Amino acid sequence: MELAIPAVLVLALSGALSLRFKYIGFAGALVASAMMVVNNPLLLMIFAVVLLNLASLDLMKGFLRGVDYTLVGLIFVATSYAFYSQSLAFLLTMFVVASVPTYMLVMASDREIRMEVGIKYITFMVIATILFLIGAILMVHASATSSPTLYFLGYTMLLVGLAIEVGAGPFHEWVPDVFDSADPIPISVVASIAKFVPFVVAFKVISSTQMGGDTLILLTGIVAVVSMFIGNIGALTSNKPARILAYSTVANMGYLLAALSVSFKSEFIYLAFAGVMLQLLTNSFGKIGFFVGIKEDAMPKIETYVLALSFIGIPPLMGFWGKLYILASLVYANLLWVAFFLVINSAMSVPYYVRLIRIFEDKKDFRRLAGYLVTVTAVLMLITIVPPNWIIESSRILMKYLTIGGV
Amino acid sequence: MIYAVFIPAIAIVLAPFIRGRAAAYFSALTFLVSFLAILYAFVMKLEYAVDLFTAFEPIGRIYLLGDTISHAFGFTIALVSAMVALYSYPYMKHRFEEMELNADAEFKKYWFLYNLYAASMLWLVYAGNLILLYVFLEISLIASFLLIYYYGYGNRIWVGLLYFVWTNIAGVLALIGFLMIGFDNQTLALDSIASVSMAAWLFIFVGMIVKLPGLGPHVWLPWAHAEAPTPVSALLSPLTVGLAAYILLRIYLIDSSFIEAYRTEIFLYGVITSVVAGFAVFKQKDHKKLLAYSTVSQMGYILIAFTLGTAGIVGVIIQYISHAFGKSILFMSAGAIIAIYHGLRDLEKMSGMHEQIPTIANAALIGFMNLSGILAIGMIGEFFILKGLVDTFGLSLDAILLVVFVFIISGLYSFYTMKRIYYGRVRDYSRVKVNRLLDTPLYIIGAISILFILPPLATWFVDAVVTFLGGV
Amino acid sequence: MEAAALMDLELNPGIWLALFFAPILASFPIAFIWPRRQDSFARKLPILSVFGLFISFLITLFILFRVEEGRYVYPWLPSIGINFVFVADYLSKYMGALTGFIAFTIGVYGLEYMKEDYRLGWYWFFFNLFTASMLLVVYSDNLFMLLIGWEGLGIASWGLIGHWFRDDDELSYVGVMDRKVGPLKMFWSPSTGGWRAISTIRVGDMPMFLAVAAIFALTGTLDISQIHWGELFEKIGTAGTVILFLAFLMGPFTKSAQLPFSEWLMTAMTGPTTVSALLHSATMVAAGTYLFMRISWYIKPWEIHLPGVEIVYTLVLFLGLVSSLYGASVALASRERKVLLAASTMSSLGLMFASASASYWLGEFAVIVAFWYLITHAFAKATLFLVAGHIIHETHDRFLGGDREVFSKMKLTAIVTLFATVTLAGIPPLTAYWVKSAMDEVMEKLVHDVGILPFVLLVTISAIYSAFLAKFFALNFWKGRHVHLHLHGGGVMKTAYTAMVSMLLVLLAVIYLGIDHAGEEFIHAGMAEVSFMVGILVLVAYVVGFAKPEHENAVGRVLYDRVYVMALNDYIVPKIGWAIAWIVDIFNRLLDFIAHTFIPALFEALSMSVRVVQSGSLERYTKIVVSLVLGILFVVSVAGWF
Repeated sequence: MELAIPAVLVLALSGALSLRFKYIGFAGALVASAMMVVNNPLLLMIFAVVLLNLASLDLMKGFLRGVDYTLVGLIFVATSYAFYSQSLAFLLTMFVVASVPTYMLVMASDREIRMEVGIKYITFMVIATILFLIGAILMVHASATSSPTLYFLGYTMLLVGLAIEVGAGPFHEWVPDVFDSADPIPISVVASIAKFVPFVVAFKVISSTQMGGDTLILLTGIVAVVSMFIGNIGALTSNKPARILAYSTVANMGYLLAALSVSFKSEFIYLAFAGVMLQLLTNSFGKIGFFVGIKEDAMPKIETYVLALSFIGIPPLMGFWGKLYILASLVYANLLWVAFFLVINSAMSVPYYVRLIRIFEDKKDFRRLAGYLVTVTAVLMLITIVPPNWIIESSRILMKYLTIGGV
Repeated sequence: MIYAVFIPAIAIVLAPFIRGRAAAYFSALTFLVSFLAILYAFVMKLEYAVDLFTAFEPIGRIYLLGDTISHAFGFTIALVSAMVALYSYPYMKHRFEEMELNADAEFKKYWFLYNLYAASMLWLVYAGNLILLYVFLEISLIASFLLIYYYGYGNRIWVGLLYFVWTNIAGVLALIGFLMIGFDNQTLALDSIASVSMAAWLFIFVGMIVKLPGLGPHVWLPWAHAEAPTPVSALLSPLTVGLAAYILLRIYLIDSSFIEAYRTEIFLYGVITSVVAGFAVFKQKDHKKLLAYSTVSQMGYILIAFTLGTAGIVGVIIQYISHAFGKSILFMSAGAIIAIYHGLRDLEKMSGMHEQIPTIANAALIGFMNLSGILAIGMIGEFFILKGLVDTFGLSLDAILLVVFVFIISGLYSFYTMKRIYYGRVRDYSRVKVNRLLDTPLYIIGAISILFILPPLATWFVDAVVTFLGGV
Repeated sequence: MEAAALMDLELNPGIWLALFFAPILASFPIAFIWPRRQDSFARKLPILSVFGLFISFLITLFILFRVEEGRYVYPWLPSIGINFVFVADYLSKYMGALTGFIAFTIGVYGLEYMKEDYRLGWYWFFFNLFTASMLLVVYSDNLFMLLIGWEGLGIASWGLIGHWFRDDDELSYVGVMDRKVGPLKMFWSPSTGGWRAISTIRVGDMPMFLAVAAIFALTGTLDISQIHWGELFEKIGTAGTVILFLAFLMGPFTKSAQLPFSEWLMTAMTGPTTVSALLHSATMVAAGTYLFMRISWYIKPWEIHLPGVEIVYTLVLFLGLVSSLYGASVALASRERKVLLAASTMSSLGLMFASASASYWLGEFAVIVAFWYLITHAFAKATLFLVAGHIIHETHDRFLGGDREVFSKMKLTAIVTLFATVTLAGIPPLTAYWVKSAMDEVMEKLVHDVGILPFVLLVTISAIYSAFLAKFFALNFWKGRHVHLHLHGGGVMKTAYTAMVSMLLVLLAVIYLGIDHAGEEFIHAGMAEVSFMVGILVLVAYVVGFAKPEHENAVGRVLYDRVYVMALNDYIVPKIGWAIAWIVDIFNRLLDFIAHTFIPALFEALSMSVRVVQSGSLERYTKIVVSLVLGILFVVSVAGWF
């Protein structure tokens, strides 16, 4: 983590130079990311996500070319740092740092700047960020002063902020529009690498304060279940792949929020955390693969199947293990009703993922880079044929960094 | 020896690259070799536990488990899969022609999926960890789903989805139950699980009721089994749904408290399932749907048998085998008519079919004999179920009448259907020469099902099962 | 003869294997070749099948004369104590030889009778499978092993009754074509006949199967001769005994076509006549009574004085007599050759049940009487069926008919018929007279314990029985309407039924010469005054029956329609069944609609309403989100406050 400052410097420099030659930005982002990588399997996987993001940007043309690498690199630096930071101030900063670059990215496209999308997105992100930051601070304050009422309020704000930020229902309104009208590649960034930090920060804040009672668990559970249902039901009749994926994101965020409710039971946090991280990885790889496919309007066939089935949660693909650990943590925390709704939802998701397969069936006309990218995501989904002990190990290691200092 | 169950993996990889009939023979051969090896292990009462991997809590030790129960289910799966593989060739060729697809290219896909599907079921019964078991369950689900999705009849995409959703619900509900077991025991390795809580049992039971299926969730089955391409039906109905019984059996052997606590309720539920489905058989107009309802009815036997103590458990195992043999024959006979008479499956257009296709009719008779427990392995199964009934409920008249009624209905719909399809006025269909691969596999299964009531097979079989369960 | 404890003895298992598998294996060639080619070569293969029957017959003779009485045990399911146990005792030795002989003789007859048939593979396979199953039933001491044979009988019976599955030949129907009485169709096709047979038999077999399993559960063994029946019945009490025993007897009742399960036997006549002769007179239907005799032999009910056992035996006694009276009356009114014989068979079976059940009061002798009646009846009835088959073959007519021209052109046939009818009727001093006399004696003795009714019924039945036998002879050979004869061949058939009927003389010799010591007692009973008077009555009945074979009246018409018992099979049970099926179908459709139409539609509607939010207007989105956020915060604040 000592290299964070140099990494940011590298990014800044390369970002500036990338205006001359875009691959300098790419190299800079690579170097900076490599500097931030820790020898932790989870971080390595996230590194893989960022590499895929960086590579996929090459499918873009247009005004941000070059700098976009830097922005993605920046998100990764913030993500990596957030995992290890134990200071509230830094964590909240990272939250903002990981979020802001996406404001610019969503406006990028091959031809023009998509202002309208940008405005929609930014409006919601601002609301989210404010709520999240205030909520986090209130929670910390409330736990220091032992004020449950305040804590309730703070937690709710944090939860709602998080929900808006990542696009969980019923605060998902921006998601389908943005996913549909922005360029697919930047959206793949928004839907993948940018999702880690909010959850990491939320986990850390909650587990460090720990004043929650059953009411808050109930609240989280309700938001989670509502989000799952909105996502899955919304996707049922959607026909455009981008919209299907938007609702799929909403549903996925529901699963993740469900795991968040476990964070009040400290002995099972590691399991919930592992589940959330694995599910985020699944979501990232899957979204990258599919958005690349949308960009090209074509995908390699077998890979499409693997990605869709992984989203459905078919073992031994990665999507299964993410859900499994989330489910396990819910069962352990005795939140059976949430677990029940989760599995019902995961069964409901089958039809639209199959529709996704059908949409891409027999469309083979894609650029070679796009093909490789999709293949890599599919292969990554398959690495969990051996049960992923690594994610549990990582999670246990990262538990040490969960407590925020001075709280 | 246990590695013999992995021989079909060769077929998964290689069969798609073999052209024509040889692929069918090759696939069947790998399953047959497995069958023989498993039979040997079964007779010798060999038991295995081969460690594969140790995962963190809650999964625990993942290993291959081979015991009498696995072998009993295993050789059934291997045998039926082998025979259906042979049968697949002429049938799917006809199907591809009907769908106007390129047979060579489609066979590549077909053999991969078929072998994957069959092998994953075979491996499921050798899984020593509930997660591993779940993995194979889902793989078999995906493979069968894709087969329906590509080659099914009617609105195949809709039916495929319906099948996928229902069985996925079944699987994930059971998964919750598994995880609860994991929480209580810190492991999901079968040999280390000490207790199964009532709540975990409930989730697993409900999940498996959906898959088995019991009355209520059973509505999915007629769709899926009727609209799947027939070789797939001939695996789905005989083998796949019964795997729910296998899973329940594994849990039961660890901790039978749930079944004991709700014995009467489950018993009655099984009876009602069987009776309702049995009567529904009479009303069907579609050949394959009729067989599908009969599957539901037969699965009711299994639910009944679960409540009947140790003898009932022997009954569950034998009922699985006998139903697998009988129903695979029957689905293949239905498929043979479809293949020969270009999609003929409407019962109202059939009668006197014995005239044109005597060999298929005779095979169907053996199939129905299996279902109704006449001169085939099902007889021993029914014997144990009835013994269990008396062990459990004594000579109570109501319980006796219910079970006897259930058994009678199976016999009645079997022979009523025989009469509907194969007897009576001969219709104006041409007599054709039946492809050997469309009828020989049926007879092989039929012969084995009959040999299973005679020594030495019967002696070995009952001895192994009874010894394993510690007497009845 | 006394059923003392049987010794476990050794015998080369090859003999038993050959006994059962020789006929089955010998039928394989025709069974497998026939579906592929139906040429003159294939038509020669049935000789092989008959040879298989011949081997079985020889082995049954070997067992009769050369094998010691005892049990022969071979392992089957040793881990649960169930084994193949063959028993050679008084009953099984005779019954085995009887089966072997009749099956072989009818097999020979069938070579000619079925020569032109279109389904030879099927016929011979099931014919031989039937024989093997019957022999298995006969020699079984183990109930589970017996069940295998029992199921074999059922399936073979189904196969053979529905042999002419095409339903296209009027000659193979039962009843007058297109005749209807109310909602009942009074004609039955072969496929219907087969279905009625198997459906009725299943109804009986399943309770019997349960009883067998229950016996195993309660005693741990299934060997009839080894079970401690007395202890068992004592243990399960009166209600238990009645339930268990009646469940067990459901098998014999349905197989032996006792009321109300008689209809299937009548329509079983849709099968080839050889089938009727073998299955539905001599062996399969007799298997029910045989089984009852066999278990009574070892239960020794006369030594057990338990109310449960008494209830059951009394019930069997009256059920048998009532069925017998019903069968005899229906036979008297029947106009079809084979249906007449079928009804008469039912009547005889009832007598066997009744007589055997008297053993509860009178001891083993009653069983022996019933058994001897079974043997006598088997030969006589098989003969009559074979004759009927021959006449149908020559006249292409299944209804009673034939004037003196038939008599003169088929003299041997007529004489055989006359002899068989007279002998079976019980006219002194022929074979059945002696056996019937013993039965009279048995029923007479029951007066003390049960009352006079059984004896009265028996005498009535005997008279009616004799009358319809006379009618059968008269209407076929003497006084019937004119029929066209198509005489051709028939030599083999004649030989077969002559051989069959001559067995009645052999039996007569056995009784006269005291070769079997039951014979002495039969002679003794035949010399009694009462028996002789019954014999005279029977003779009178025969003469009257011959003199006036037809008499039209209302009672006769009801009896001709078999007292409408078929309503049970064809109307009441199916109506109830279809009603349930209809309800079930509605239920399934409703569930299917809810699960696969309604709920998906609901979700689609929900999906639309979720997506309708997506108008694209930022203002609207912001409003929604902000109001949601504020709402939640408000609620939480309020909740947190309390």
